Amino acid sequence: MTHDPQSVSGAVTAGFALLLVAMILCLALEEKLHAKKSVIVAVFAVVCLLLGGLLHLLPFEEMVVVVGEEHIALPIYIPAIDWGVVAIILGSSLFVDITSKSGLFTWIAIVLTKTSRGDPVRLLIFYGVMTVAFSAVLNNVTAMIIVGSLTAVSLGRLGIGDKLLGFLLVEGLLTNVGGLLTLISSVPNIIVGNAAGITFVTFFSKTAPYVVVVTGITIWLGAKVFDIRPLASDEARSEAAQRVSGFDENDGIESRFKFTFGAVMLGAFIVTIAAASIPDTVLHSLGMGYVALSFAVIMLVQYKSIADRFYQAVDWDLLAFFAALFVVINVMEHAQVLALIGRGLAPILELGDTVGPSTLLFSSAAASSVTDNIPLAAMLAKILGSLDLAADSPYWWAVIFGANLGGNITPIGSASTLVAVTIIHKHGLELSFVGFVRAALPFAALQLVLAAGYVLWVL
Amino acid sequence: MTKLDQFHSAFLAADKTTLHYEKLAVEHVLVVSDLDGDAAGELLNRVRTFLSVVDDDGTRWARLDGGGFSSVKQLLDAVDEQAPDLIVTYRHLHSSAWQWPHSLGEYLDVLTQATRVPVVVLPHPDAARALPHALKNTERVMAITDHLDGDDRLVNYALGFTEAGGRCWLTHVEPTSVFEHYLDVISKIPEIDTESARELIERQLLKGPHDYIASCRRRIAERHLPYEIGEIVAMGRRLGEYRRLITEHSVDLLVINTMDDAQLAMHGLAYPLAVELRQIPLLML
Repeated sequence: MTHDPQSVSGAVTAGFALLLVAMILCLALEEKLHAKKSVIVAVFAVVCLLLGGLLHLLPFEEMVVVVGEEHIALPIYIPAIDWGVVAIILGSSLFVDITSKSGLFTWIAIVLTKTSRGDPVRLLIFYGVMTVAFSAVLNNVTAMIIVGSLTAVSLGRLGIGDKLLGFLLVEGLLTNVGGLLTLISSVPNIIVGNAAGITFVTFFSKTAPYVVVVTGITIWLGAKVFDIRPLASDEARSEAAQRVSGFDENDGIESRFKFTFGAVMLGAFIVTIAAASIPDTVLHSLGMGYVALSFAVIMLVQYKSIADRFYQAVDWDLLAFFAALFVVINVMEHAQVLALIGRGLAPILELGDTVGPSTLLFSSAAASSVTDNIPLAAMLAKILGSLDLAADSPYWWAVIFGANLGGNITPIGSASTLVAVTIIHKHGLELSFVGFVRAALPFAALQLVLAAGYVLWVL
Repeated sequence: MTKLDQFHSAFLAADKTTLHYEKLAVEHVLVVSDLDGDAAGELLNRVRTFLSVVDDDGTRWARLDGGGFSSVKQLLDAVDEQAPDLIVTYRHLHSSAWQWPHSLGEYLDVLTQATRVPVVVLPHPDAARALPHALKNTERVMAITDHLDGDDRLVNYALGFTEAGGRCWLTHVEPTSVFEHYLDVISKIPEIDTESARELIERQLLKGPHDYIASCRRRIAERHLPYEIGEIVAMGRRLGEYRRLITEHSVDLLVINTMDDAQLAMHGLAYPLAVELRQIPLLML
């Protein structure tokens, strides 16, 4: 038997809430614990399931799926996982990995580098825009790795390695801005968007104006703060152009056919994902996860003999982390912890249509700045979902903007800023935690204030 | 291997070293010999014919004959005083040790290291070791090194000494013994797949010079220079490989680096080549 929500004691709820807090703390201290987040959350999932079972919180008897006349019993932790989200992440990361093997992304990056003719300001603009575009299409971490690696190599080639820190910091901050562009650009978008019923096209049309404006402002501010100026003389311009001309955009292309195929498939992928937003269509019924997995399979056919290499490259830590996280959240739901948090959020929601969403946005950003934004997004999506909010409610957008942009406040706020700092350290540059916060805070504060205004008065 | 390393490597590989072409200007040539009188004059004439590629109306040719120096110091002082752009000489000046092919002789040993002036080393006039085609012209010039990519000076000199319509071979022989030694070490490291390492490292070792030669070809085409570029990029035993190549391609002049910033002695590859390849002229940079 399962407990009626009313019958779960306050002590049990408080105990599970403590477990949740402990898990979030452990995630924040991931580096100190020398443990992957999948392992941390999986340990908590195991403990939560056991305690939930012992305390009769979990609805074991309801875990039967009826397909026609067949009854399939499922382990309690299987339906707890949002398989739609897992499918999107698995499919799109596989698809992106295989597409990058064709040399497409390095080709784009090098062509833009050569087009800049080595001028630092033009490079900052091109790399900034490329970071946003790659973050939108790929994922933030891959975007940061591609653009950050190229930045280090090209600035070294141009002899302006002293500007590397500024470039990488601006790019790191822009990954989280680019992560706002589409529904599949970041995991919080997928989780919250799915829970709110926001379609791919709606998401893009709502966030794109903000992303464009904030990208421009961030690049402009970055050039000012880090003293990145255009080349002053014809001689310097000619020298810089000569240096970047040595880059060969075709170096990473093993097969022209695979390259072209990858480019076409990337375009088709974006269009098809968008098409899956159209209601009453087969694609809509099958979902974005189906689209992502299908495109991954089509791309795998190109590399059928070495498909296993791509399976090895999948971020299993991330996927296992999701699966375990969904299980933990499911148990928390049954233990009334989410209801408790929801009640805690009630005063925020009662603050009205202006102060309420703003407070939620800044709170989400603050929480995301010190721990993973995915558990936060998953919990808030669940809580907001229980309130029957409309898809265009500003609260959904407050969580989306806050969870994404909060990662810009500290170096541990998002995986992509952590990658930026890793590249900075790899090249022998000093940047402490406080140093990052000091440098990034003006950017993050501006982005968050603009986001609050945008959510309240534009969306 | 992390994704960060993968992309960093991909961009480093795409960042190709390209040739910065500079036209060679030789205004003053000093021919140093241990001959005197007519013999020295005859040598100068032969050298001018042989190196007609650098000889134009403005080129000044001078001689430092055997009577002009009797010690290394005197030779170096004379070179300092004349400040030539190019020295032409041969092995074992003022010595009969040319009969034993085991050294360069004290004068040449010091000269190549004590000055930055390039030295053309001719086969010894008495040795009769020169190949039949040697000392006639410089239609076929070969630059030899174990680190070609980025060595603009070597390539610019090799091109500058190649006659119009001639062929300039750019060669890069990667020493097999060193490669095998590293692979032997790699084969004992469980984390590295030895076969992949062999294939990938060999490919990358040869790709750098190959791409650089491609950039040399592009520069020459852009400037409409009258040379053909030959490419030899391979793994091998260097000395044996070069002996074979010189004979196979009837090379008129070998161009080689001798200076090594890390040491006072001659560059590791240069010395054995300079000692052993005595049949044709060498340009030692």
